[in-house]
Amino acid sequence: MTSFALACRTAKRYRARTLLAIAGVAVIGALLFDMLLLSRGLLLSFADLLNSSGFDIRVVSSDGLAARLPIADSARLADDIRRLPDVERVLLIRIEPATVRGADKPPRGISLIGSSDTEQSWRIVKGSTLDIPAAAGEACPVLVTQPLAAALGLTPGDSLSINVRPPGVASVLPAVACRVFGIADFAFATNDELTAVTTMAAFRQAMGGEKADADLVLVASKPDAPPGRAQRAIASLRPDLRTYSNEDVVAQFNRNGFAYFRQISLVLSSLTMVFAFLLVATLLTVSINQRLGEIAALRALGIGRTRIASMLLWESALLVGGGGLLALPLGQVLALVLDRILRQMPGIPERMHFFVFEPRALAIHVALLVFTALAAAVYPVWLTARLPIADTLRREVLG
Amino acid sequence: MAALAVLVLFTAAVSADPPAILVSRQLAARARLAVGDVVTLAVDAGGTRGRQFRITGIYEPTPDPMRFTADRLEARLHLPDVIDFTADPADPASREAVSAINLGLAEDVKPGLFASDLMARAPGIVVRPTARSATDDPFVVLDRFHVAISAVTMVAGTAFLLALMVIRAEERRETVGILRLVGISRRTLLASVAIEGLVVAAIGAAFGILLAYASEGLVNRVFQARYDTALVFVRVTPSIAMRAIVVAAPLGILAGIGASWTLLRREVLSIFHR
Repeated sequence: MTSFALACRTAKRYRARTLLAIAGVAVIGALLFDMLLLSRGLLLSFADLLNSSGFDIRVVSSDGLAARLPIADSARLADDIRRLPDVERVLLIRIEPATVRGADKPPRGISLIGSSDTEQSWRIVKGSTLDIPAAAGEACPVLVTQPLAAALGLTPGDSLSINVRPPGVASVLPAVACRVFGIADFAFATNDELTAVTTMAAFRQAMGGEKADADLVLVASKPDAPPGRAQRAIASLRPDLRTYSNEDVVAQFNRNGFAYFRQISLVLSSLTMVFAFLLVATLLTVSINQRLGEIAALRALGIGRTRIASMLLWESALLVGGGGLLALPLGQVLALVLDRILRQMPGIPERMHFFVFEPRALAIHVALLVFTALAAAVYPVWLTARLPIADTLRREVLG
Repeated sequence: MAALAVLVLFTAAVSADPPAILVSRQLAARARLAVGDVVTLAVDAGGTRGRQFRITGIYEPTPDPMRFTADRLEARLHLPDVIDFTADPADPASREAVSAINLGLAEDVKPGLFASDLMARAPGIVVRPTARSATDDPFVVLDRFHVAISAVTMVAGTAFLLALMVIRAEERRETVGILRLVGISRRTLLASVAIEGLVVAAIGAAFGILLAYASEGLVNRVFQARYDTALVFVRVTPSIAMRAIVVAAPLGILAGIGASWTLLRREVLSIFHR
C-alpha cells in the first residue's frame, strides 16, 4: 500500500476531524486568498479605470492630481499638444464646485465639469449625449449623474439653474439656465456623487463669461507612439507644468492612497498563514500522539521511516490541499461581500473594486499553502522518525 | 496662527528681529532646523516675496488618520505674517481673504442646522461640520470591514476548536464509557465537556488578548516609524478584550458539547463496541 493510500485511509477513519480541519483551512485559506486579491486589487482596478478612459497622459499645473489649479493659457497649450506627432487626441477639463437648483427642490452642492469634447468616457443611461444638434443650439446643455438626477428628480429635457462658486470667493456670478440632455454614468464618479458635465463654452458662461482655463489636460498618444515620447515632448512644451503617465498616477496612488490596504493585506496574509500552520500542525501532532501505537505497529510490520514520513506529508497535503481548493470558491464569495463593504467608502469611484483576481494571486496562494502543508508536517514527522518501536508497543499493550 | 501648505526654504543674511514661526518635527528633521534658526520663506521656488522668520518652536502635527501617508512638512505662522507675504499686491482685497474660519459652537447648537443657516445667509461660502456623519466617514466603513474579517477568523477558529475537541472526545471514549457505567449521568458529563470547552476558549481568548497587548507597542512603533507619525494604529481597549472573551466563551461551550454529543447520546455498551 502506498503512503498516499495510507493517508487516505487515515483521513477516512477519522472523518469528523478531517472534515473539520478541511473546513478550518478552507475558511482561513479563503481569507488568505482574499488578502492576496486585496494586496493589489485597488491598484489593478485603478489602472484599468485609467486605461479605459482612452487617455494615457495627464497634464496639471502643480504636483499631484488631487488639488488642481487652472493651467494658464490652456487652450493654446492644447493646440500645441495637438500638433505633436505622437498625439492622437487632447481633452480639456475644468472642475468647479457649484450650486444647482431644480424646480421646487432645495439647492444642492455639485461638481460642475466643463469638457472640451462632447464624446467622452461616460455611458448614457437615459436621454442623449451632448454631441447632438439640439444640444449644440442650447446655451448650457448638461449631462447629470444618476445620484444628481435622483436627488433633484431630473429627467432629460428638464431645466435647472447652476451657480459656479469659485473657491474662496463670495460668488456674485449669475445663475446659468441649463437643460438636461442625458443622465450618465461617469467613469470616475463615486456612487453618491452629484456631478453635472457641460461644454467648455457653457462652462465659460457659468464663470461669468471670463476666460476659463482648464485645470486638467488629458492626452491620448497614438497607439504606435514609443512609450514616454509624447510625455517628454509635452513636458518640454511647458516646463512649468507637471505631466503624468497612467503608470505615474498609479505609482503615486500606490505610494499615498493605497498604503493602508497594502499593509492590512500583508498583516492579515501573514496572520492567516500562521493560523493555517498552527491549525494543521496541532491537529497532526495531536492525531499522531493518539496513533503512536498504530504507527509503531506499522513500523514493526516493516514499513520504513520514509514511508511513514511520506504518509504524514500526504495527510498534511490532504488537509491543506482539500481546504485550499475549497478556499477558492469560498474566497470569491467572501471577496464579493468584503468588496461591497469597502466600496461604501466615500470617494471611491463606482467602477473601482478592492478585490481583483489575477493569476499571480492564485500562484502565491498555492505556493503559500504548499509551504504551510510542508511546515505543518515537520514536527509530526520528526516525532515519528525517532519513535522507539518496542517501547511504544510495550507501553500500548500495558496501557 | 495659520497653517500654510507648501513653502520653500532659503538661507539668507539675517534681518533684524524676524517674526516667529513654528515648524513641524518632520520639517525640522528633513531640513535640519533647530529652534533659534532663521529661515526665509517664499511663495514659490523662485523665491518670490521671500521673507525671513525665526524658528521659535518645533511641534508635533496633530495625528490625522486621513493623512498618515503624507509628509507633514508644515510651518505655522501668525495670520498677519501669512497675509503679508502671500497676498497679491495687485489685489487689495486679497489682504482681507482667508481660506477657512474655524468656529466653536455653543453646546446646544446643532452643527448641521448652523451650517445650513449660515450658507443660506452668506451665499458662496461652504460651511461644514468637522464631525463626519456615518455615511461619509471612511473609518465607519473600515470598522465594518474589520468586523467582517473578525467574523471569518472566528468561524475558522471555531472549526479549529471543534476539531481539537473531537480528538479529545475520541481519546476519552473508554473513560466516558466507564464513567457512564459507574452511574455518572449524561447531563453531568455534558456539563463537564461544556466547562472544558469554556476553559479552553477562555484561556485561548486570554492568551490572544495578552499577545495583542504585548505586540501592540511593537506594531505601533513599526508603523509610526514607517510613516513618521505619532498616530496610534493599534490599541487593545478593555471593551475589545471583553468582546473577545464574550464571543469566545459561548463558542467554546458549543464546541465542547458539539464534539462530545455523538459519544454521549449513544447507549453505554455501544461505546465499548458491544
